[in-house]
Amino acid sequence: MTRPIPILFAVVGWLAAATAIRADVSFAEVVRKTNPKIVKVYGAGGFRGITAYCSGVLISPDGYILTVYSPTLDTRELRVHLYDGTRHACELVAAEPQLDVALIRIKDRERFKDLPLEHFDLSQPPPEMKVGDWVLAFSNLFEIATRDEPVSVQRGVISAITPFAGRRGIHEAAYRGKAIIVDAITNNPGAHGGALTTRKGELIGIIGKELKNALSETWVNYAMPITELRDFALRAMRGDYKPLDRPETRQVVDKKPYHGLVLVPDILDRTPPYVEEVIPGSPAARAGLRPDDLIVFIRAPRPDSPGELEERVIASCKAFKETLAGLDPGMTIKVIVRRGGQLLSLDLTLEPPPPAATK
Amino acid sequence: MRHSIMRFAMLMRLVLAVGCLLQAASMTVSAKEDVDAALEQATKAALDRISPVVVQIRTVGGLEVVSGVRKGLGPTTGVIVDPDGYIISSSFNFASKPSAIAVSLPGRQEPLNAQVVAQDQTRMLTLLKVEANNLPTPAFVPKSEIRLGQWALAVGRTWADVYAGPPSVSVGIISAKDRIWGKALQTDAKVSPVNYGGPLIDLEGRVLGILVPLSPQRDDETAGVEWYDGGIGFAIPMEDILAVLPKLKQGTNLTRGLLGIRMKSRDQFSAPPVIGEVGPGTAAAKAGLLPGDLIIEVDGKPVSRYAQIQHILGVKYAGDRVSLKVKRGDQVLDFPNIELTGPPQATALAFLGILPMRDDPEAGVAVRYLFPNGPARQAGIRPGDRIVRLNDQPILNRLHLSQVVSRLAPQSEVTLDVKRKDADKTDKIKVRLAELTPELPEDELPEGTLKQALAPQQPLVLPGGGPGGQPRPGPMPQPRPMGQPPRPRPGRDKQPQPKPEVPKGVIQHTDPATGHAYWLYVPENYDPNISHGLIIWLHPAGDTMEQAMLRLWQDLCKKHHLILYGPKAENPTGWLTSEADLIREDLRKIAAEYTLDRSRIVTHGLGQGASFALYLAFDARDQVRGAAVFGGALPNLPRDLSGPPLSFFLVGGGRDPEIEAFRAVKPALEERKFPVNYRELPEHGNGYVTDPGVLRTLMSWIEGLDRI
Repeated sequence: MTRPIPILFAVVGWLAAATAIRADVSFAEVVRKTNPKIVKVYGAGGFRGITAYCSGVLISPDGYILTVYSPTLDTRELRVHLYDGTRHACELVAAEPQLDVALIRIKDRERFKDLPLEHFDLSQPPPEMKVGDWVLAFSNLFEIATRDEPVSVQRGVISAITPFAGRRGIHEAAYRGKAIIVDAITNNPGAHGGALTTRKGELIGIIGKELKNALSETWVNYAMPITELRDFALRAMRGDYKPLDRPETRQVVDKKPYHGLVLVPDILDRTPPYVEEVIPGSPAARAGLRPDDLIVFIRAPRPDSPGELEERVIASCKAFKETLAGLDPGMTIKVIVRRGGQLLSLDLTLEPPPPAATK
Repeated sequence: MRHSIMRFAMLMRLVLAVGCLLQAASMTVSAKEDVDAALEQATKAALDRISPVVVQIRTVGGLEVVSGVRKGLGPTTGVIVDPDGYIISSSFNFASKPSAIAVSLPGRQEPLNAQVVAQDQTRMLTLLKVEANNLPTPAFVPKSEIRLGQWALAVGRTWADVYAGPPSVSVGIISAKDRIWGKALQTDAKVSPVNYGGPLIDLEGRVLGILVPLSPQRDDETAGVEWYDGGIGFAIPMEDILAVLPKLKQGTNLTRGLLGIRMKSRDQFSAPPVIGEVGPGTAAAKAGLLPGDLIIEVDGKPVSRYAQIQHILGVKYAGDRVSLKVKRGDQVLDFPNIELTGPPQATALAFLGILPMRDDPEAGVAVRYLFPNGPARQAGIRPGDRIVRLNDQPILNRLHLSQVVSRLAPQSEVTLDVKRKDADKTDKIKVRLAELTPELPEDELPEGTLKQALAPQQPLVLPGGGPGGQPRPGPMPQPRPMGQPPRPRPGRDKQPQPKPEVPKGVIQHTDPATGHAYWLYVPENYDPNISHGLIIWLHPAGDTMEQAMLRLWQDLCKKHHLILYGPKAENPTGWLTSEADLIREDLRKIAAEYTLDRSRIVTHGLGQGASFALYLAFDARDQVRGAAVFGGALPNLPRDLSGPPLSFFLVGGGRDPEIEAFRAVKPALEERKFPVNYRELPEHGNGYVTDPGVLRTLMSWIEGLDRI
């Protein structure tokens, strides 16, 4: 007589639980659960295209926040607004300009002891991602939200996962790693530091600064994958992060490798790199290059892994000079030229500059 | 016990009922989740299916800036359309006119050399060919199956991973069909240089169309790029591309099919489609259409506005046919199967053989000079006579006459009403027009100005007739010299007019915002009542030659009423095409200050400046009437060469290392029916020509620029 009742509750309870699990993955639910993990960051700026605000993501229950490294963080007056509208003074813990990322924390972390904050747990490996995955972007772009207003959410798909040559004005972007390119217009003023998540709300990237793709002259919408930033974040939270070694300097020293090619005079914006003359007996002559060849690509060893060849388009005489200047004498490169309607690949071994050229 | 079993069964039923309810509630959520997951899966599957036909294209050389848009150097996308190596792409990707094009096929390590086979200039597509066969080709969606609101994926292959990895994707829907006068699909997927030339596909991986930038207003290769990633993207339906593919494969460039008419009203959305003008030699002229005809039916569809006609004609190519039904008076006439023509490649302008008197407020055109072999002289017109009507149309002034004549075909016969000098009578004279020649007037010409440029234009009053004579159907153009005060119109503020007191001599100007600089020489004898010619001096790379030019030109400017304007190139390496915009802006400013003669604005250059002078003459065709260059090479000519008269004065040095390129300029321009004066000085190199004989001839050429 009394037995059925508990069974009833058990069954109903089980069904309800199943419903709750499924309801988890609807966008509305994901957004509701993710919003408390995003903060609005306020700092220095408001001049020269640098906003005085950006976004950040909570990665600990006691107020550690991952965001993008920018001059906005360079102030004693740094503060964040949490989802509930509360304001908290913050301090910069660590920054890695090469990854364009920074860790900040709320100064008074005692207050969260009994009331832990919703946050993204970086101790778990992030989910796999693929081109075509649906994603959600959370950020306070254009400072549309203030205090307890939820940040803006956008939906898109992953367009590509690739490194790209970004630039802002004439400055090259610091971040050179792989980026998650999305097809929503996510990268707007103040969006940097926001979260890119899967459609289930798992963190996969931090939205980057506004950058132009140097190759297509168009603005890029991208996030830096959490896989690239996770090590920094975990170490910095433990307090044992050491900044990466800076590459010597980006300025390429011309090593003046000798090839024996004379190109046509460089007179246009983009003079096509036609060979005018091949010096007899030179490396170029031995490689089989001929006058009137048009240089299209050069494949040269990658600076970071010399075993691999990296292909570069030689779009102009200027590009030829710049590419060659960075190569070491002794290196064998592939020069791909157009001759008679065909592309030919020729092996060219660079030599040390002859005495006449070094005087 | 049995009782309890009964109760248990009842309870279970209740449980199941509640369970079903909850289940139903959860179903809507999981259904949503399933849809999301299914869409995500479908996107990836479609991407896998299309991937083998999406190629990456890279280019070498070419221009940095095209039509004011900085062109990226990066890779672009194309789609294989034929197993034998034919690839379709967006013309935007080749707007910089690259020297070499390399195509990387998915899965192949070695890039292939590609040749441009042909272009579809109406839909901004380019067909490439590589040496390859047995290539995969995509399935496509027929236009009739494309539905508004259906999913559409924009695919490109421009990101770093060239030889492996999936193409890039942006997800959207079909926003509209038959856009840009019926030519394109519209999508809200993000379309940009990152995927121009790539396919727009459906969720089954079939091609809907090829992504291109398009604009309803402009039709050059970079038009519409300003909308990139804006949620307004265009694609040319694949069905339409496949229909013209055989023609493109044969190397035929496809151009827009034109009737060659101009509407009476500029309002294309509400005014009735009445023909205002029929261009000489055009499809409409050959078919026998006349000004005043009201078009009532196009290809069997009734029309009442010009926009409707454009929707039908917009999709057609040169060589396609169109059938019209028009109303002429009370008659309804049929014009079946008119063959449309392409934009005119070479239009010879008609020539009357006179130089008009300038700065003349009286209605009509006073004859200043007659060309010895010109038709006007042979018909008995004499210096001092005044042409008051052409084919019964009243003539306002010389710019009006020039405009009217330039719209007539050479060899056409016109009737002029000529008011004789010193005699109070008007003769009707028949003249058969000739073709505009490069013939120069004599060295010593009678004074060319009546010095009343600022006087208001007088209305036309003829003996025996009312003012203005018979009105003609169609709008009467009312041109005025640049800077000449317009006649006051009711309800409008006065437009700026040249000031009586303006700075003279050498004037330096630098724009504080952009840093763009120019110098100006206004002769000390400048009089706002005399319209002045303008010489746009485009210096060679690295040297503005300001002092040398001033020494040579000061006296010439005074004698021939010329203003010398010398913009300075931003880079020591020479002019960039983007600087044309700055120069056009300067011209507007100068015209607002000084009385300029619109028919004698000339670009003049040396070396790289000469090439730029030739470029600018075409780029600012609405303002420039001539180019006088010492050396230089021909730029890419615009597609549509019709327009107001444009003359060339070319001087080459036999010892100029670039003389071969220069020699090619003359035949290229003559082939397109532009009047060219050419001379080569065997002993001269590539410096400025100071030979007094050549400069004197140059002055005669400038004097003759307003010939009609």
